[in-house]
Amino acid sequence: MSNVSLRSGFLLGGIRARQIVLAVRILAGGALAIFALSTPGFTSPLSINSLLNAISFIGCVAVGMTFITITGNIMSLALGATVSASALVFLASLSLGVFPAFLVAVLFGVVITAVQGAMVGYIRANPLLVSIAGLSLLIGGAALATGGQRIYPGGEGLQAFKGRVAGIPIEALYFFATVVIGQFVLSWTRIGREMVMVGSNLRAAIAAGIDTARTITVAYMLAGAFSAVAGILLAARYGSGDMELGLGYDYTAIAAVLVGGTAIQGGSGSVVRTLIGVTVIAIIATVLLLRGFSQQWQYLITGLIVLAVIMLHTIGERR
Amino acid sequence: MIRSLLLNPTARPFTVMAGSIVVLALIDRGTGFFFSMGTIFSVMQLFATFGLVALGLGLSILIREFDLSVAGIVGLAGCIAVMTGAANPWLGLLLGVGAGLLSGLIQGIIMTKLHLSSVGVTLGGLLTLQGMTYVLTDNKTIGYPNISVALDLNAPIAGLVSVRSAACLAVFVLAALVMNYTHIGRDVIATGSDRRAARVAGLNTDHVVIGVFAASGAFSALGGVLLSYSLSAASPVALADVLATAAAAAIVGGVSVVGGRGSPMGIAAGVLTLCILRSGLSAIGVEPHVHDLVTGFILIAIAFLDAPELFRRVTSWRLAHAERDAAQTKLQ
Repeated sequence: MSNVSLRSGFLLGGIRARQIVLAVRILAGGALAIFALSTPGFTSPLSINSLLNAISFIGCVAVGMTFITITGNIMSLALGATVSASALVFLASLSLGVFPAFLVAVLFGVVITAVQGAMVGYIRANPLLVSIAGLSLLIGGAALATGGQRIYPGGEGLQAFKGRVAGIPIEALYFFATVVIGQFVLSWTRIGREMVMVGSNLRAAIAAGIDTARTITVAYMLAGAFSAVAGILLAARYGSGDMELGLGYDYTAIAAVLVGGTAIQGGSGSVVRTLIGVTVIAIIATVLLLRGFSQQWQYLITGLIVLAVIMLHTIGERR
Repeated sequence: MIRSLLLNPTARPFTVMAGSIVVLALIDRGTGFFFSMGTIFSVMQLFATFGLVALGLGLSILIREFDLSVAGIVGLAGCIAVMTGAANPWLGLLLGVGAGLLSGLIQGIIMTKLHLSSVGVTLGGLLTLQGMTYVLTDNKTIGYPNISVALDLNAPIAGLVSVRSAACLAVFVLAALVMNYTHIGRDVIATGSDRRAARVAGLNTDHVVIGVFAASGAFSALGGVLLSYSLSAASPVALADVLATAAAAAIVGGVSVVGGRGSPMGIAAGVLTLCILRSGLSAIGVEPHVHDLVTGFILIAIAFLDAPELFRRVTSWRLAHAERDAAQTKLQ
C-alpha cells in the first residue's frame, strides 16, 4: 500500500543494503537452525511429526493466500471460513464415496472464491471488502444449512486423509503436493507468470494484452481449491466439523506468506517462500514449546519475530 | 434521485441506514418490537462496542492504509484497564488508552521512517499485541472487582442511550468537528487523496500518518476499555469478528478504500446500520444467521456500486448487445 516512489535513498545504497539484509537472513536462518537442533527432543519422531502436522493445515491455506497476495490483492479475510465450509461440505457428501466427496468439496471452495475473484478481476471491486462480504455470507449460509449443528461424516473413508505412508503423515504429503502444484503453476505456466505481472503492474499488464480479469479470477480459484484441501484434511483429522474449524487461519496464513518474503503489494514472491515462512513459524513454535515456554509466551515471541521478519524483508526489497 | 442517493458516497451511508430502518419497520408492521425503547437502547449498546474501533480503522483506510492491529488493541487495552483500574477506574482508563496511543505511535513511526506497508507492520503488531494480552492475563479471563463501574457505564440516559454509548457518540462528534473545522481534518483528507501532491504542497505527510495511527490506537483502546468495564471482565480471546465488523462498518459508512473520502459521521451511520440490522432483526424474531446473510448482501452491493470498472463493463456489454441486434436486423 505504501508508495513505491518512497522507496529510495535510505541510509545506505541499494546494493549495500541488500547485501546486509542477505547476511542478516543467513545469520538468522543459521541461528534458528542451531537453536532448534540444540533443543533437546527437537529431532525426536514425535516432535517432527507434530511439526509436519502444524505445517500441513496452515500451509495449504498459506499456499492459496500466496496467489491472492501475488496478484496484488493483499489478502482474503474469507479463506478461514472457506476452510470450515469446505470441511462441512466434504463431511456431508461423504455418503457419495471418498473421491466424489473430495471433488465436491474442492469444487465448492473453487466456486466460492471464483465469485469473489471475478468481482475483484472483472469490475475491480475492492478485494478486502469482497472477502468480508464472502465471510458474512459463508457464516450466515453455513448456519442456515446446518442449523448451527456439528456435522459428522456421512460415510466411511476418512482414513484416506490421515495416518502415514512410509512414516510420513499423509497430511504432509498432501501439503507438499499443493506446494509442488502451486509452484509449478506459478513458474511454469503462462497464467502463473501473468499473475506475477498483474501484481507487479496492473496497467502494464493490461497494455501487454493480458486478460487481467481472468488471471485474477484463476488466482482466487486456486486459493479456494487449496483452502478446501486444508478443510478436508482438518475434517478427516477431527472426524467432525463446524464453522470454528478454520477460525483465524486467514491471519496465520498471511503471516506465513509475509514471513516467507512475498511482497504485500504484489508482483513478487513464490510458493516455496511461503513454504519457508510456514516452516519457520512452526519451528519457532515447536522450539518454544519444547523449551517449556507457556502458551502465552509462545504467542508473544512468535508475534515479535513475525513483526521483525516482515520489517527485515521490506527493508531488503527497497531499491 | 435514488441513483444519486445510492451512488453519491457522502449521502449513501445515510440512505442505506434509512433504508434498513424502513425495511425493518415494514417487516415489523407496527407490532412495536422494532420501534421500542429497548431496541434503540440495544442498538446503541452495540454501537458502543464496535463504533470506536470502526472509527479508528476507518481513519486509517481514509489515508489509504489499513490498521489490522485495532483488533489486538481492543483486547490489550481492556485487559490493562481491568488489571490496573480496580482501585481507580480513571487510572485504568488512562493506562489502557495510553497503551493504545503508544502502540499506534510506534507502528506509525516504524511505517513512515522505514517506508513499510501498513498491512505488514500492523499484522505483526496484531500478533504481538495479542501475545502481550495473553502474557499479561496469563491466558485467563480476568474479572473486574469494581462492579459499580459497570452499573454506572450501562445506566440508561432518557431510556435511549447508556453512559457508555453516549461517551462513544461524544467521541464521534468531537472527531467530526476536528475533521470538518480544523486544518488537521484537511491535512488528513489531503494525505488520503494524493500523498505525493500533499507532500509537494508542503504538508508533512509522515506526521499525518503517525497521527492517524496514534488516533486509531487510542480510539480502539477507549472502545476496549469501555467494553471491559461494562462487562466487568477482560479476556485475551479477542472478539473474533471485531476486525471484519469494523471494516465492514467503515466501508458501509462511505470510507473509500482508494483514499481521501469518508467522514466520522458517515462511519457512525455505517456502524449504526450494522447494529440496527443485528438488533432489529433479532427484535422482530428473525433467526440470528439471517443477519450475517443480510450484511453480506449489503457489502456485496456496495462492492459492486463502488467498483471502478462496473459502469465500463455494463456499457461495453450493452454496446456489444446493440451491435449484435443491429447486425441481426440487417440480415433480416
